[in-house]
Amino acid sequence: MLLYILKRVFQGFITVWFIATATFFAMHNVPGDPLTNDRAMTETTRANLEAKYGLDEPVSTQYLIFLRNLARGDFGISFVQENREVNDIIREHFPVSAILGVLSVVFAATGGVLFGALTALYRNRLPDYLIMFLVILGISVPSFVVAALSQLSLVSLNTLLGFTVLPVAGWGTVMHMLMPALVLGLSTMAYLTRLMRSSMLEVTSSDYVRTAKSKGVPPTRIFTRHQLRNAILPVVTVLGPAIAAITTGGFVVELVFAIPGLGRYFVEAVQQLDYTVIMGTTVFYGAFLVFMVILVDVVYGFVDPRVSLDA
Amino acid sequence: MNEISASSFEPLSGQQQSQVIARPSLSYWQDAWNRLQTNKRALVSLYIVIGLLLFTLVGPLIWPVDPAMQDIDQISQPPGADRTAIIVPDYEPWFGTPGRPDSGLQLAEKATSQAVRLQWEILDGASGHRVYRNLFPIGPELSYGIPIAEFLNNDTLYFEDRLDLQPGRFYYVVVALDGRGLITDRYQSIPVDIERVTTLVEASERGLIENADSMEIGDEVALALHPLGTDYLGRDLLARLMAGARVSLFIGIGAPFLFVLFGVVYGSFAGFMGGRVDQFMMRFADFVVALPFLLFMILFKIAFGIGPGESGVFPMMVAMVVLLWPATARLVRGQILQIREQGFISAAQLLGASTPYLIMRHMIPNTLGVVLVTVTFAIPSAIFTEAFLSFIGMGVAPPTPSWGSMSNEGIKTMLTTPHELFFPALFISATVLAFNLLGDGLRDALDARMRSAE
Amino acid sequence: MTANKEDTNVRPSLLIVEDLQVEFDTYGGTVQAVRGVNFSVDQGQTLAIVGESGCGKSVTVQSIMGLIPAPPGRIIAGSARLRGHEILGRKTVGGGEIRGAEIGMIFQDPMTSLNPTMKIGDQIAEPLKVHRGYSARNASLEAVRLLELSRIPEASKRARQYPFEFSGGMLQRAMIAMALSCKPSILIADEPTTALDVTIQAQILDLMLELQKETGMAIILITHDLGVVARMADEVAVMYAGKIVEYGSANDIFYRSAHPYTVGLKEAMPTNDPARQHELKPISGSPPDLFAPPAGCGYCSRCPYAMQICSESPPQNNGLHDHHSASCWLHHPRSGIKPDTLFFGDAL
Repeated sequence: MLLYILKRVFQGFITVWFIATATFFAMHNVPGDPLTNDRAMTETTRANLEAKYGLDEPVSTQYLIFLRNLARGDFGISFVQENREVNDIIREHFPVSAILGVLSVVFAATGGVLFGALTALYRNRLPDYLIMFLVILGISVPSFVVAALSQLSLVSLNTLLGFTVLPVAGWGTVMHMLMPALVLGLSTMAYLTRLMRSSMLEVTSSDYVRTAKSKGVPPTRIFTRHQLRNAILPVVTVLGPAIAAITTGGFVVELVFAIPGLGRYFVEAVQQLDYTVIMGTTVFYGAFLVFMVILVDVVYGFVDPRVSLDA
Repeated sequence: MNEISASSFEPLSGQQQSQVIARPSLSYWQDAWNRLQTNKRALVSLYIVIGLLLFTLVGPLIWPVDPAMQDIDQISQPPGADRTAIIVPDYEPWFGTPGRPDSGLQLAEKATSQAVRLQWEILDGASGHRVYRNLFPIGPELSYGIPIAEFLNNDTLYFEDRLDLQPGRFYYVVVALDGRGLITDRYQSIPVDIERVTTLVEASERGLIENADSMEIGDEVALALHPLGTDYLGRDLLARLMAGARVSLFIGIGAPFLFVLFGVVYGSFAGFMGGRVDQFMMRFADFVVALPFLLFMILFKIAFGIGPGESGVFPMMVAMVVLLWPATARLVRGQILQIREQGFISAAQLLGASTPYLIMRHMIPNTLGVVLVTVTFAIPSAIFTEAFLSFIGMGVAPPTPSWGSMSNEGIKTMLTTPHELFFPALFISATVLAFNLLGDGLRDALDARMRSAE
Repeated sequence: MTANKEDTNVRPSLLIVEDLQVEFDTYGGTVQAVRGVNFSVDQGQTLAIVGESGCGKSVTVQSIMGLIPAPPGRIIAGSARLRGHEILGRKTVGGGEIRGAEIGMIFQDPMTSLNPTMKIGDQIAEPLKVHRGYSARNASLEAVRLLELSRIPEASKRARQYPFEFSGGMLQRAMIAMALSCKPSILIADEPTTALDVTIQAQILDLMLELQKETGMAIILITHDLGVVARMADEVAVMYAGKIVEYGSANDIFYRSAHPYTVGLKEAMPTNDPARQHELKPISGSPPDLFAPPAGCGYCSRCPYAMQICSESPPQNNGLHDHHSASCWLHHPRSGIKPDTLFFGDAL
């Protein structure tokens, strides 16, 4: 058990190293160099800056420096906002994205399980058709359109009622979080609903549910004790990728709703070619996702008795 | 009970006894096609996909409008045909019409897309006025709109608006300013309906009329036709949707095709080799899977860089292929390993089948179904990815249209001209939906084991 | 069969099934899975229903238990009376639940028939909580006792394990413990040993017999294995294409087979009695399409004795003696065949 977790964490670190390496070499392939910008600079300034950022060293040395700093948890200093550490930027903006992400995952998972179970219970009846129609919308309408439309409808709602029900954009209170979290979780929820539905239908026609019926167990008890627990298992296995989807999906939602999260910051950094911020954020996100997947796997081991967490 | 005759108890002749299996035998693909045809949703999706391909390939022949051409007369026009403009005299400067109007804010003459001319009386206690233009009536929050002019004395009581006038309804507001030039809560407002006009010179310059002599002031001329309206630069939306479809579908279909192909080769090689090679190859695939996809799409996009005049389509395809092949590789490898263990492979080997024969005759046909389903499901996600990246400005570079970049532009004018967002979003959604449903149908049709319970 | 019931039975049978007919709606049309089945079971007796796959034997017992999914399934006619009370389409009889309390059931594949995420003990305790109002504590104590009764060693430890930690034979024992938890008067065993090793099969069958002696329950045993029938059954019903074609005591069926299908089954079965060694003979052809059942006898196209009439009208049920009866035109008085040459027992 502990051994299994240790092994997975070790593998996780290797994966993070791979991500970091890929990031480093991808960024080194970028045409031009980070000091080429609008500001005219003298040869001396340029040389100083190159020395400061280690750009005068050969690539292999730069790579080693990068790795050493990374091992110490130091992502360097922003190129654009000089004297601001990338760590500070992550520390400041990541919690915002994390709160949004957690809310969305909770929303997507509970919604997906609930609606999926409902559609399976009411198979080929009105609630099923209704929810599946919404699910199809959720799967096929791009997130930015959903975000824009929800913002639009908030504007109309607020105008119609004459007061602010939910703020249209910005960040700060729980009220600010609700709509973006909903929008962000929507497509994942649609996906989970579909998954839960087919898993639920499979469980419903399974031998052990027939056994439970033959024991005279009442339907509600069959539903809670036998169907739900087994049907949720496949949903749990895809939570890792779902968290990844929600994290990156946050870029759009943060842009549209003007939320000061790390995703929005990343997009801005990319537009400004802020090398260290791009590299730091990518590696950070990568590591975050890798360990989220490990966490989900470990949790799955507890949920499904058949999976033994032995190395 | 029927009457029983003596002959009833005669033994049956052999021929009557023999059993005939009446059902015709079907090949795998025939059977799959039959099953797909009974699936209404999948069939409709297939027609939609064919329709989209026709729209992309044949569309530009039927509607040969240049997607980059700007129609300055019609900017951000909603869908519709039969748009006309009335010919008016050339523009002449205006400095208020003498003879004050009796009351309040009013139009000095008919409002046209050439100019809106307003006049008003001094508002109560005003020592100056500010003019606003808005697309909406003044709400309870007293949102006046955009300030377009300010007069810090009461000498000028007229204003001519010529800024970016479009046919439609605008709301003009005149607000009283106090002595220090700050706005007060006294205002007057009128709705103004603007009519589209053009001059003879303009009309002949743009080729709307052939012979300027035959036209007179007050005549109507027909404007260029834009069935789905125009965007914020006056470009024809239908033509842009077709051009955008070319880019979006090229990426959306081309990239999955390439990375699935690579995945198939990689996976079947690993599965076939087995042992250390397989282990190493699959471990590498695991690493690539762990790369955060969208972040690396963006990274690669910067890394490959795009020069001026390039569209960025090619780097995006490369990035997708580089990042997305492992899923297919894993799947195909699993299939190959599974098939290798099956009885019919041993049987074929016992009959003396060579390895190439085994691959061609057994391995590939047996993985083809799974691969086809994978491609079908990869297409909508590739289209989504293109749209997503173009939306955050990391995808196809303007002016190359793609549905994603068109949505990105459309979202800025969402409140005033929603059709600029609606049409590209509709095309993205319809395409994604069609491919998803088609994929469901194919999966059900091709492999009963993968049959979803839906 | 029921026709003989009046003159032989002193007390009415525990369960009497009459003219049961079940249909299923499918893509291809309506399948007439069960086409008028009659049988009865007495207390302490074992009735075996024998037949090949798809002959409707499982559907028959599942309709009695109300386990036919509807739609697509549909019971279109018939009755099943437990101690004289109708139970078809009902959940309770005389204030008691039928499923789990009056009738217990075990299934073919114990590996998939138990909930993979629920502890064995909890699954056994569940009917006790539901039907008998046991507290959680008492129910789990009783579950352990039932596991011991089913000859499972270390029962209290095993009760806390999950199905994947059990072997197939152990799981079937647990299934039996579960089915018998509320002391039902009938145990329905739907191919209980098909998925098990031969050695385990014997143990499971012995367990069922022992428990039957202890509790006096009736057993309805569904199987396609004549060896199992020989070991277990008092009475046997041979089913073919949705109908019972021959019905009688185990001795009748094995030594005085009256239907060509029964004979065919026997010829297809190996024997370890050197006196009866014979070449194994498969029954050629396949069962009729139940989407459109044949006008005459369902076995007609495979029957070596088939006559003109067999393809035209369905055979009547002919009582032979005592409980023994068969649906075959050969037994018709006008068939011209002497009754004593009809019993195929000596032919082998």
